[in-house]
Amino acid sequence: MSKNKKRKASDFVLNSITYLSSTVSLITLLGILIFIFGQGFKLLNVDLLVENFESQGYVADLYDNVRLCNCEPTIEFDENTYYSPKWGVALSDTTDLLGRTVVKVEFVDKDSPLYKVRDKGIGNDPIELRDEYHIIRIAFDEYPTALSRYGSENMINYLEANDSLREIEFQTEGGGIRGSIITTLYLIVLTLAFALPIGIAAAIYLNEYAPANKVTKLMRSLIETLTGVPSIIYGLMGLAVFVPLTVKLTSATGGNLLSGAMTLAVILLPIIIRTTEESLKVIPDDYRQASLALGASKTQTTFQIVLPSAVPGIMTATLLAIGRIIGESAALVFAIGTAIKDEVSLTGKSTSLAVHIWAMMTDEPANIELSATIAIIIMFIVVILNILIKIISGRYMKRKMGVSS
Amino acid sequence: MKQFVEGAFSIENLTLFYGNKLALNDINIDIHNKQVTALIGPSGCGKSTFLRTLNRMNDLIPNCKVDGSIYYGEENIYSQESDVIDLRRRIGMVFQKPNPFPMSIYENVAYGLKCQGIKDKNILQAAVKKALVDAALYEEVKDRLKESALSLSGGQQQRLCIARAIAMSPDVILMDEPTSALDPIATAKIEELITELKKDYTIIIVTHNMQQALRISDYTAFFLMGEIIEYGKTSELFSHPKNPKTEDYITGRFG
Repeated sequence: MSKNKKRKASDFVLNSITYLSSTVSLITLLGILIFIFGQGFKLLNVDLLVENFESQGYVADLYDNVRLCNCEPTIEFDENTYYSPKWGVALSDTTDLLGRTVVKVEFVDKDSPLYKVRDKGIGNDPIELRDEYHIIRIAFDEYPTALSRYGSENMINYLEANDSLREIEFQTEGGGIRGSIITTLYLIVLTLAFALPIGIAAAIYLNEYAPANKVTKLMRSLIETLTGVPSIIYGLMGLAVFVPLTVKLTSATGGNLLSGAMTLAVILLPIIIRTTEESLKVIPDDYRQASLALGASKTQTTFQIVLPSAVPGIMTATLLAIGRIIGESAALVFAIGTAIKDEVSLTGKSTSLAVHIWAMMTDEPANIELSATIAIIIMFIVVILNILIKIISGRYMKRKMGVSS
Repeated sequence: MKQFVEGAFSIENLTLFYGNKLALNDINIDIHNKQVTALIGPSGCGKSTFLRTLNRMNDLIPNCKVDGSIYYGEENIYSQESDVIDLRRRIGMVFQKPNPFPMSIYENVAYGLKCQGIKDKNILQAAVKKALVDAALYEEVKDRLKESALSLSGGQQQRLCIARAIAMSPDVILMDEPTSALDPIATAKIEELITELKKDYTIIIVTHNMQQALRISDYTAFFLMGEIIEYGKTSELFSHPKNPKTEDYITGRFG
């Protein structure tokens, strides 16, 4: 009786531990999701995805012979938008893609003196003050300068109080992450193009051809060790080897997409080799023997029987690899650099979404909200790629094996 | 002068070591063309090992050392000049566990031919159909050649494996306990098939089932501890065993 009770008690304790642990991990993961969505959801919009990061700034003044407008607005504004009849412009307070408060141009009348202004910088072409632009400051001759930080109402009041202005500074909307998204996608494709063939071939060699001796054993444990090396070390290697290499061979002048992809490929090699080898190992020896007994050569057996059977495993390796590519930041800081660029080229500087987050968080002040938004986008990309690869591998298995998996 | 027959084996002083372990000791037998030869004996007696020397599948095992000679037709298959890949094409093999490739039924049979470099679809289709018909499987699978071979029953899978071997038009088919993983009905079908196939092929079959050896084979070799204790016509070996050990085994006193 007491023996039975004892067993029941120990069963209860062990079961409780498993339940508790799974609950804790579930809550932790949920917590992360809630944090990211809570922080980042409000900045999530299409503009963020398609806009440039860098904003174009302009300083301009009025042409000599312009007259004030004194026109009534042709469209209706909501209550947060302020209109100056004298100048024919409407301004509002809004937050930009980075979450900062800015003064945004809502409307410019065609007769407004601000409709076309003179560029005080390089180039003499007139600039149009379009809606969507953000006004930084408006300076007057004998009046305090209207700054964006005092809001749009203040700016409109200042405009109404003056008949002319000395100069106006405004900029296009920036802060988009299009460049970083493109860079990330480029990195995924390039890195897989480097790492998958080499990794799979190496795994095939290790599992199918390598003799069972000390050298092979040493090679395996080396590969295993490499999996544990911190990625920043690989980043240093990228900086020391791949950056000079790409600078020498291409038009690149510093860290670039190619050197970044190569560095990531090196990071991924051990993972891909290990995962692929595991999936090769579980393929029954029966298949190999059956193939050889049919008069197929070793190479035919490997590439036509063993490798296709390992495709699901290789797909898993690819998924792990993609996750790693998207998530990697430390190595890329060295191998590509941290410059956020809108124009992405293989030999140019640009940066991935993960490093974009790093850049946002090292900004002063740290931009947690935008970082969380980028995190949402990263998760979204990972999910989409996961589904895509599942579909592709399912199709492949069905076509090749006649099995629906 | 010895007479060489295509499809027949002549084994002389065959000795085989796995590392230091003697697995086959001084085997000397002649295996006859277009006959069924059964290899019987208790587990670990070397009969499967012997079977695998005939198409050199033992080459795959590290530390396996073979002495002596095996003449297949007039070719010593363990000589330097012998081409093992061509040898295995001419000597088919069926394994203990049905092991179709994880591909469609059609691809399974066509695989060996494709490896030989045959690409013509018409030739392949004709060969696949013929092999399936000869393996008495065609009627059962003709409507689902594109389906996975793994969807077949165990007995069907084993007949598919036989069809796969036949498709290469070999002279010899080696069978390593082909029915040990099958139920009695599937076993009966395979045995029927073997009797049918021996018209065209030399068949060497390892079996644990004495009744099976008696039913289907023309010759029987009894192995014990890596040696051939007795070899002769099946009818004689089972009715008048010369060696007391053979008698003990076939009457079920050990093994």
